[in-house]
Amino acid sequence: MSNPVLIIGAGVAGMTAAVELADSGIKTVLVERLSTTGGNALNLYKAFPTDDCFYCFEGNRWRPGIRKCFYRSALTEQPNIDLKMNSQVEEISGLPGNFSVKLDIGPQYVDPKKCTMCGLCIEKSKAFSLVSPQCQPQAVVYDPEIEDTGTTSAAEECPTKAINLDAKSTKKIISVSDIVIATGYHEMQPVNVDEYGYGTHPNIITQLELARILDPLGETKGVLLRPSDGKPAKRVMMVQCVGSRDENYYAYCSKICCVFALKHAAILTQDHEDVEVSVVYMDIRTYDRYEKYYRDTRNAGVEYIRGRVSRIEPQDDGSLDIIVFDSLLNKYLKFSVDIFVLSSALEPSAGSSQIISSLGLKSASGFIGAINPETEVVVGNRIYACGSALGPSEVPESVTQARAVVSKILQSKE
Amino acid sequence: MLVVYLMTEMEERSGPPITLIDPIDMSKLDPTFRDEIKSMPNGEALSACFACSTCTAACPIANMWKYKPHQLIRMILLGMKEEVLSSNEIWLCLTCYECQERCPQKVRVTDIFFDCKNLAAEEGKIPPNVVALAKELLTKGQLYTVTADWEREDMGLEPEVPGLSVEAVKTILKDTRTRKIVGGDE
Repeated sequence: MSNPVLIIGAGVAGMTAAVELADSGIKTVLVERLSTTGGNALNLYKAFPTDDCFYCFEGNRWRPGIRKCFYRSALTEQPNIDLKMNSQVEEISGLPGNFSVKLDIGPQYVDPKKCTMCGLCIEKSKAFSLVSPQCQPQAVVYDPEIEDTGTTSAAEECPTKAINLDAKSTKKIISVSDIVIATGYHEMQPVNVDEYGYGTHPNIITQLELARILDPLGETKGVLLRPSDGKPAKRVMMVQCVGSRDENYYAYCSKICCVFALKHAAILTQDHEDVEVSVVYMDIRTYDRYEKYYRDTRNAGVEYIRGRVSRIEPQDDGSLDIIVFDSLLNKYLKFSVDIFVLSSALEPSAGSSQIISSLGLKSASGFIGAINPETEVVVGNRIYACGSALGPSEVPESVTQARAVVSKILQSKE
Repeated sequence: MLVVYLMTEMEERSGPPITLIDPIDMSKLDPTFRDEIKSMPNGEALSACFACSTCTAACPIANMWKYKPHQLIRMILLGMKEEVLSSNEIWLCLTCYECQERCPQKVRVTDIFFDCKNLAAEEGKIPPNVVALAKELLTKGQLYTVTADWEREDMGLEPEVPGLSVEAVKTILKDTRTRKIVGGDE
């Protein structure tokens, strides 16, 4: 029996690699730090280029799944995938082909194979919650930190006996043949970019925070409300390149924030009524076919202003007065807006530097670097990376890279 | 531009400004101007403009202009109706169509300036030299009167231009907007 493949991170790239390896008969151990898979993509509402939930991308539709969502059946039913939620990799040693990996496996309070998400436990105790109706695995989550009087009866009365309150976290050492790093990105919290005032006013938010507001499954049910007072927001301004292409923060272009912002501008002008959107930019980089978003949003009346934000002045009524320097007009313009959205840089995820140093990998601006630029996904001897672990990437690109990893591993196993 | 930050508390709204920047207040502009231009026969592709300034690069005379062609299009999109319609530039345009030929987004730049001239004319905003030309056409039926001078004689031409009829031009122009522009009932 050969060793399984370790996949770190169950976002778009990690899930794709795990499912496709498993389908090809390779055993995989998929380790995810959080209680739901999907990573950043889970919170995107609509993902470009198809504006679908990313779980349902065209290439995945062939698989018969429960509620048309193939990852549910794949992640919990595919016998070749050993999914470890709330878990982390603590240490990696050993040699290629036979790495020794120390895992910290989180307690499995709720068995996703038994949970039907009936909601009984959520009614009885605050300790149970549903992260998102789209969460994978499809199961409620239990937080022992906020245990209350209803917790025990919730567990006892669970109709499918899916809850085990006594579950403990365990340490385990496993041997794996290959390692796939799919640790994704993190959206920079632009607190240090003083001129944009992030953190000083509730109506100054990031693009991922806006995605949560636009999501019909989110707190506001998709209604555009000002975070400060919950009043309807009618005027939105976005600013690009916050911390990206900036030697003080990240020198690289975060690549997907332009399309990200344009996608949100399209949703705001097309799915919402009477919302005005302005986008302040240095360069709009809509590579490949994404130029369409740019042209469509211009036609929809989105105002693009080439220049930079000069001042932000919060007003007593909760709005923000923003002065923008328009470099094409060579004039300063003053706007009154309800929500100011920062397209913040995408930075390497928290554990990236540790993985790079412990495995002796190359660093590419903090992301994982390829050994040879021609084989982007090969980052070490039997060590691979895919998705945003290699640098900011869009969903289809992450999927393609994951498949490249699968292909490389299958070739090496022959 | 020089920016001066006051050291005092910023609570007070009255008093001297916080900066010397005197921005254009977007709320005082006319957001319907963009739609007005768009509704005209040449304005359909107006909002496709992505401000690459190809038009300004193509223009043979824009170096003389206060507002360059791409800036005029920006001003239309932002709603700066007053500034655009009273600008001298729309009248200075040579109508060589270089900008429109080169525009990568198929914005009909030159034709949009024609639309602007028509809108400006409706509001009576016409430079005096243009009015003078209209008056000349209306009263004389031609812009340049051909005189029986030595050049014609040297070339062996008759003193009068044969077949020239200015009366037809004058009659037609009387029933057009040209007379409205010139004003009066002559």
